[in-house]
Order: sequence, then C-alpha cells, then structure tokens
Amino acid sequence: MSADPALTDVRPADAPAGGTGPADAPTASPGTAPGAPLLSVRDLRVMFTRPGGGRVFAVNGLSYELRAGRMLAIIGESGSGKSVSSRAIMGLLPPSATVTGSIRLDGTEIVGMPERRLRQLRGTQVAMIFQDPTRSLNPTMRIGLQITEAIHLHNKIDKKAARARAIELLKLVRLPAAERRFHDYPHQLSGGMRQRVMIAIALACNPKLLIADEATTALDVTTQAQIMELLVDLREQLGMAVIMISHDLGLAASYAQDVVVMYAGKAVEQAPAEKLFARVRMPYTRALLGAIPRLDATPHSLLPVIGGQPPNLSVMPTSCPFRPRCPVASDQCAEIPPLLEHEPEHRWACWHPDGPGAADQAAPVAAAGAGGAAGPAVASAQPPAAAGAKTLTTPGRAGSATGQGER
Amino acid sequence: MAVVDVDSAIAQGDPEKGPPAPGAAAAPGPARRRVWARRLQLGVPIGLIVLIVLACFLGPVIFDVPRPTNGDILESGLPMFSDGHLLGTDQNGNDILSRLLYGGRASLFIAVMVNLIGVVVGGGLGALSGQLGGAFDTVLMRILDVFIAFPSLVLTLAVAQSLGASVRNTIFALSFFSIPAVARISRSAVLRLRELPFMAAAELSGTPRWRVLLRHIAPNIGPQLLSFAMLNMGVVIIIEGALSFLGLGIPPPDPSWGNMIFDGQQSLTATPWLVVWPSIALMVTVISFNLLGENLRSLWSSR
Amino acid sequence: MTLASTPPRAAALTWLSGAWAGVSSSPILRIIIKRLLMAIPIMLGVSILTFWVLASIPGNAAQLQLGINATPEQIATLEKQLGLDQPAIQRYLDWLGGLLTGDLGRSSVSSQPVTSLIADRLPVSAELVGLAFVLSLAVSIPVALVSARRPGGIIDRIAMVIAATGQSIANYVLALLLVLIFAVKAGVLPAIGFTPISEDLGENLKGMVLPTLALAFPLMCFYTRFLRSDLVDQLQREDYVDTARAKGAGPWRVLLRHAFRNSSFGLITLVGLNVSVLIGVTVITEQIFAMPGLGQLLLQGINTRDFVVVQDLVILFAAITVVVNLIVDLLYVILDPRIRYGSR
Repeated sequence: MSADPALTDVRPADAPAGGTGPADAPTASPGTAPGAPLLSVRDLRVMFTRPGGGRVFAVNGLSYELRAGRMLAIIGESGSGKSVSSRAIMGLLPPSATVTGSIRLDGTEIVGMPERRLRQLRGTQVAMIFQDPTRSLNPTMRIGLQITEAIHLHNKIDKKAARARAIELLKLVRLPAAERRFHDYPHQLSGGMRQRVMIAIALACNPKLLIADEATTALDVTTQAQIMELLVDLREQLGMAVIMISHDLGLAASYAQDVVVMYAGKAVEQAPAEKLFARVRMPYTRALLGAIPRLDATPHSLLPVIGGQPPNLSVMPTSCPFRPRCPVASDQCAEIPPLLEHEPEHRWACWHPDGPGAADQAAPVAAAGAGGAAGPAVASAQPPAAAGAKTLTTPGRAGSATGQGER
Repeated sequence: MAVVDVDSAIAQGDPEKGPPAPGAAAAPGPARRRVWARRLQLGVPIGLIVLIVLACFLGPVIFDVPRPTNGDILESGLPMFSDGHLLGTDQNGNDILSRLLYGGRASLFIAVMVNLIGVVVGGGLGALSGQLGGAFDTVLMRILDVFIAFPSLVLTLAVAQSLGASVRNTIFALSFFSIPAVARISRSAVLRLRELPFMAAAELSGTPRWRVLLRHIAPNIGPQLLSFAMLNMGVVIIIEGALSFLGLGIPPPDPSWGNMIFDGQQSLTATPWLVVWPSIALMVTVISFNLLGENLRSLWSSR
Repeated sequence: MTLASTPPRAAALTWLSGAWAGVSSSPILRIIIKRLLMAIPIMLGVSILTFWVLASIPGNAAQLQLGINATPEQIATLEKQLGLDQPAIQRYLDWLGGLLTGDLGRSSVSSQPVTSLIADRLPVSAELVGLAFVLSLAVSIPVALVSARRPGGIIDRIAMVIAATGQSIANYVLALLLVLIFAVKAGVLPAIGFTPISEDLGENLKGMVLPTLALAFPLMCFYTRFLRSDLVDQLQREDYVDTARAKGAGPWRVLLRHAFRNSSFGLITLVGLNVSVLIGVTVITEQIFAMPGLGQLLLQGINTRDFVVVQDLVILFAAITVVVNLIVDLLYVILDPRIRYGSR
C-alpha cells in the first residue's frame, strides 16, 4: 500500500518546530505537504508467540507519522504496546515476535529488513535510550569505552579522534568534568549522569530519530526535568526527531508537540499536544488524565484510578478494547470504533467522545453504511476541511466506519 | 489470570524456557507439540526412574532370577543369552542381570536415604540458621565452611574406612557431604524469603517462629530442596559407586554397581561387558535423576 | 543453580573490614588479608576433623606393619618408636605444632619426610589437573558462546545433549570406557602408567591423554552448560545488551564484549566451588590410571594407616581449596570494577 504522505501528519508542516502554533491552524490539504515525514508507521502489528503456543497481540494496527525535528509522545499503560512498537523501529524485538505492516524511516522500509542492514541503521539513523540507566550501561566497561564503541562501530576513525568525539558528546549532554568522567565506570555516576551517558551513546553517530523509552521514569523528579530539558534542547540543536514513550500524560503535555495515546496495541487518540489537552475526547485519555494525583484535590481523598483490568492481549479484540472499563460504554461499543480524524489533526477512536458533538457522534457513523464513503461527517463544530476524514486503521478496514472490517 | 504481560513476553526469546501463559489461547499445530514436549520433559525421566525402581525392587520378586551371590564357579564367564543367564555370568559364575538388579537396590536405597537425611537434617538446620540468625547462624556456618573446604571424597573415604564397609556406614559417610550442601541452599533460600513482605507480616503479627518455619518457610523452600535432592541423587549414586569402586562401599560379595565395575575392571581386556553393563545401568539412572531435577527446577523457577 | 551462595563470612567479619578500611586503601590487599584471616578457623577446623576421623579408624600403622603374629611387646616398641603411644591430644598438638613450623612429620611406614613424599608426587597431580582444567575451559568457552549465539539452534541442541549426558557420566566409568576404546581396542594409547616429563615429553603427554580426558570431559560439560545458560540469561534479560545492540553492535560483538565479560563472574565462582570435587575426582582418576600422584599417596596412606601422611594431604587439599577461592575473589576484584572501587 502506497503511503499517503499527509495522511497522518498530525501537524501542519509549516508550523515552527517546538513553537506553539495556533490550535486552529488550517489543515494542510493532502499531497501538498512539502517533504516526506521522517518516520512513517503504517498498520504496524506485532505478535508474540509464547513458548506454550499462546499468542500475544502486542501491537494491532498502529499508524502514525513523525517529521524531522519534532517530539512525539507515545502514551499508554504498561502492556499498551508503546515500547514494543518502538522497539520494532529499531528491529530490536526477540525472535518470538512477528512484525507486519510498514515502518518507513527516511524512505527506507524497516519491516523485513535483514539483520545486517538493520545493524547499520541502528545508531546512525535511529538510536534508543532505555528506562533504567543503572541496568542499560554495561557495568564492567568504562563509560568512555562504551561511547567510543558506538563511534567505532559506524566510523573508521582512530582511537584519539573517537575519544575526542566522545568527550565532545559528554559535554554536549552536559556531563560535568567530561574528561575525567571518561574513565569512570557506570556505578561511579549518579542516575541522572548515567542517563546523560546513555544519551551521549545514542547521539554518537548523529541519528535522525531518538527513541526515549520511559527514559526518565527511574529518575527523581528534578533529574527527570533536567533530562527532559536536555532532550528538548538536543532536538532543537541537532534537528533530530524524538519519540518519547511514557505513561505520564503530564510529561507529554510539557514537552511533546504531538501525542499518540495507545491502548491495547492501538492508537485511541492522536493529536498535537495543545489540541489534545485543550479537549480530550477519548474516555481512556480522560481517565489517564484523571489518574494523575492533583495538588488541589481534597486532602485525604482517594487517589483516582482507572477501574477494571488491563485488556487481555492473548485474543484479538472484537469490540472496543476499553469497553469493559469505560464509564460511557454502550451496546454500540461491541463494534470496534475506527480511528478517524473527527476534527482537524485530532483523531480518536470512540463512539461516545467527550465534549460538544458527543451526542451526534454515533449518528453519522451509523448512517454511513458499509461504504462509509462519506466518513463521519462530524457535527457542527467541524470545519469543512476535515469533512473527508480519513481512517488510520488497517487497509481492510479503511473507510469502513461500521467497524466490520475486522478480519 | 487474564492479563499477559507484554514485557515478559519480550523477555521470552528462548522457546525452551518459561511455562505456557495461563491465559494464552492455545494455538494448534506446532504449539500443541510444544505443550507435549513440555509434558515429556517430566514424563520421560519419571517413567525411566519408575521403570528402574520397579525392575530392581520387584523384578527379582516377580521373575525367577538366579541369586546374585554364591554362583556356581563352573558357570563362570558365560556369554550373553546363555541358558538361564540373559546377560551371562561373571568370573565367579554369578548372574550379571541378577547382580545388576540387586546392586541397583543398594544404590537406590543408599541414594534415597542420603538425600532424605540431607534434606531433613541439612534443610532443617539451614532453615533454622537462616531464620534464627545470630550466634547459632554464625557457628553453624563456620562448621559448614570447614566441611566445604574439606575435600568431600577424602572425608567420605576416611569415614567409610573408620566405620568399616557396610550399607549403613556408607549412608552415614555420604551424609557428611549432603548435609552441608543442602543446609547452605536452604539457608540462602530462607534469607531470600525473609526479604519478602509476607514474611515480615507474619513476624510482625506475632506468629511464633516454629509456625513461621512450618507454615511459611517449609512450603516455599520445599520445591527448591526437592529439585536439588533429585540432582543430588545422581551425585550420590556416582560417589557411592566410587566408594565401592575403591573397595570402601558395599562389601563383596554383595553386589553394587560400583563394585561390579571394579571387579570387571580387572578383566577389562577379556570381558569388557562386565564393566559395560553396570556402567550403562549407572549412567541411565543418573541421567534420569539429573533430567528430572533440572526440569523440575526450570519448571519451578519460571513459575 | 545453587552456586550463588552468599558468603556469610563477610557478615561475621564486618567489624574487621571496618577496622581495615582505615588502614589499607588497596581493596586487593584488604581482600587478601581478610580471606587469610578467615582461613585460620577453617583450617583449624579441618585439622581437628581430620585428626578426629582418622583417630577413630581401628588399627594403627604399627599393628598393620608387624602383622597379626606380632607380640604385644613388639607392637608397643614400634608404637613408642613412631610416637603412637602418646595420648591423642598430644599427638594432635605435636602435629599441629609441626605444621606451623613447616615440619610435616615423617611417614609411619617408610619413615621418609612427608615433605619429600609430597614433593615427589605433586608434579604428577598438578600436571593432570592443570591439563584437564585448561582443556575443559578451552573447549567449554567457545562451545558455550556458539550455543548461546542461537539458543535452540542445531549446534545448541547437539551441544546441550552431549553436555547433559557427559555431566551424568561417572568419572571412573568414563575412564574405563576410554581405556576400553583407545587402549584395549584401538591400542593407540597406554592404558596405565606415567612417564615423568624429564624423561620423555612425548611419552609423558601420550600417557596423559586418557587421564586428562577422563577428568576434563565431565568438567567441560558442566562449564559449558552453566556458561551457556548464563550467557542466554544475560542476552535476554539485561538491558545493557539492548544498549549494545541499539548501537549497532553485531551478535558476536554483543556476546564477546558485553555478555561474556559479565557471565565470566558466574563461571569463576563455579570453578572455585568445584575445587574440592575436582580433588576427589583426581584421586579416583589417578587410581584407575595407576599414576603416582597425590591421590595414590592418599589412598595408600589410608590403607596402611599412615595417618601423618593422610592428615598432611587433607590439610594440603583444604589449603588449595582456600587459596583457589582467594584467587577467585581476587579475579572478581580485577574483573568487576564495582568491587575494585569499593562500592559493593
């Protein structure tokens, strides 16, 4: 399936990177966006085969795009498929995983790429930092060597030049006393310093895309903010794209420009950050927001939690996966809601979204019929530009607003 | 349990490890084969062990097997498939099959007893030591250090020598090195267990120590000790054989696999099968126990 | 594996290490001193246990040498001559005093100094153990690496089946099997005997092949299985492996540069824990191949009630165990920077 370049472009291409454009910026019409996105994920599916023969459907048709120089936050609970989908970009999944769909990085298809070529890509095109910097650095190697290893793997340069580059990198990530720290072992550094070293390793070969997998979760709040600021600065300085994976919507609101909320291996809501947080539509996203403890809450009141069990990933969902936990679920939710661009740049997959037009939401879809050609002509609030809403679901389901496309 | 943790699914790269996900949908075809392979992992060694035990303990009762000792010297050195002697006879005219079965009785009995003593005494001491801590723990660990620094075979040889060769003394001698090993394992298991919140909860709620030991510790370290005991069965059988082999185990003319190998060694050139048969019996038994022990362990550790 | 047993000695001697922290800044020196101090009660315990067990063996060298026809007077005279008439405590203290001053005493049978008996036999055992040890590591490390490269692959499966079988073979059975095949049937190698290196290196090595194989094979199976499973564990569970792969490192680089270095700690621990078993197995192997090593000396000593020799040998074996474990600890320090810089 050929990529429609503007299909999933969640932000207009001419918006200033990192800036806060007006929330009602005019949508770029399909095909006119200058330049292809850096990363284009389409209908990504990842299935694990368990030793006993069971299967785990970790990612079930995820699509998004990311332009160079932007930061995308992928938000979800553990088990939502956020980590797995990003590991797929690195080709870092175990042999028990089956990956289908398409991941195009700078025009190169990654799904199905032989290991040898993937290896050349890792570090140079896309790099990754992990959750726990204590465990993600090799405890028996000096940090300098761990950085120069990354440099030597992709560049034919001598030791001295590699060392100079490594120290330059350590300075770039603002590690104090970089020359001296070059000879330190990981255990001699603090958690925040270790994560800086991890970032230095990731940046060693100027990747175009940096994936930060819960990179600040294991750190204390102050260090967390420092590391996030560093990532934001580096993104601007080096013009690379960043995917931050987190369970923390607050973090996404503070630092990311684009947000994808995942649930049960699918995107359930997707929009530029300011749009999303201006009006959260999907009940799950709302529940996630509600689950953040607030300082202005009544003292001694119970912490809000999302009730119910996380979804069972060992069976393919046939209804809306959030249905059992959803406060507004109805009979209609027995059908999987497609992810549609109901408002400009704002997509969600829900039959009963919050906010204006909620009551009408189901109606056009139900009326659309099997063809679904009209798409969800969302009620009054919708500007005409978004009338021909596009789906982000699988090719089989594309355009079928009835949700019958499940194979 | 309905939730399948994706993170742990990622970690499951090795198809040999980990149990089937309880909530996972059973897929047909190769997956079902894998489930069967998993069952066979326990079934095959257990089956083999049951077979060996039955053959050794019931075989001579049910079937008419010649006596293992006092064979007719005129019938010495008969080849395989001789009349009345399926595996032939040794230099003294004793039936080899019969000696194999009776020798197996001795080996299995000794191995079971040694491990039983090891698990009960060693496991108990270790658990107590880990639970009580303090001076008791320190003193016991120092004593175990001595036993562990002591070359185990030398100790066993000396004990066997000083007490004389008999089944009972062999069990006693071999217990000297199964007890310290089990005690160490059970102690470290208890120490690890004590880190867990439920243990603190039990202690804080005033449960008596002996009750904590019986109700909480014993069921938790039991599986670990059992799989160690299975692995140790093989070790004990081998060392018991070595003792007999060096003439310090089961005294001739009573058979044991070890002294059969030793006797056969003297005429290895002329009649190699005298060594080969008991060696095979020894090997199959040890492999069965090792397989069972290891598969039990991987089953429990992945649970 | 039950190998990761925590050394309880550390806790008991915390106060000592605390005292030392101020005195010695070198962690290596600290560990050596700490370990040697811990060895004192262990060696003392071993000496008491040895003496007690041997003293309870019925009969002594005098009775055995003179035979059943000797008169009580004859026996008494020889006992007096050998010092066996003294009370057990006195004999123990004499022996211990001798040990501390470097005097291992004399054999009750040949009246040769035990020092020279050991010096004669030691090279034989050392060569056997050394060759077996080197061979087992030289085989097990590459095999484990290749197996861990593709867990569940064909090489892994074959190697693991062989290793599981090899680990279950009794050492003496394997020895006889090797003799049967190579000495009896093929006739290419000598079944028994030992030629000193000084006489003929070629003959020496030829005679060493079968004992070394018999000793090394179960060992290498054990090491291979352990190292392979530890490597696979590292590869699957450790995040630093992901980091290395995310850099673009290939599978061999990840295995050799990253996983193996971290797995080597486990292997070293295993080797250390295995010493006392290895000593026992060496005794049997020497007996089967009629090699004039320490094992043979020990068995002879037990059979002739030559207790001074046996006591000295047991102390020597225990000392070797302690020293090997000291070396293991030092290797830890050298390989693991976390210990070297005293943060753990």
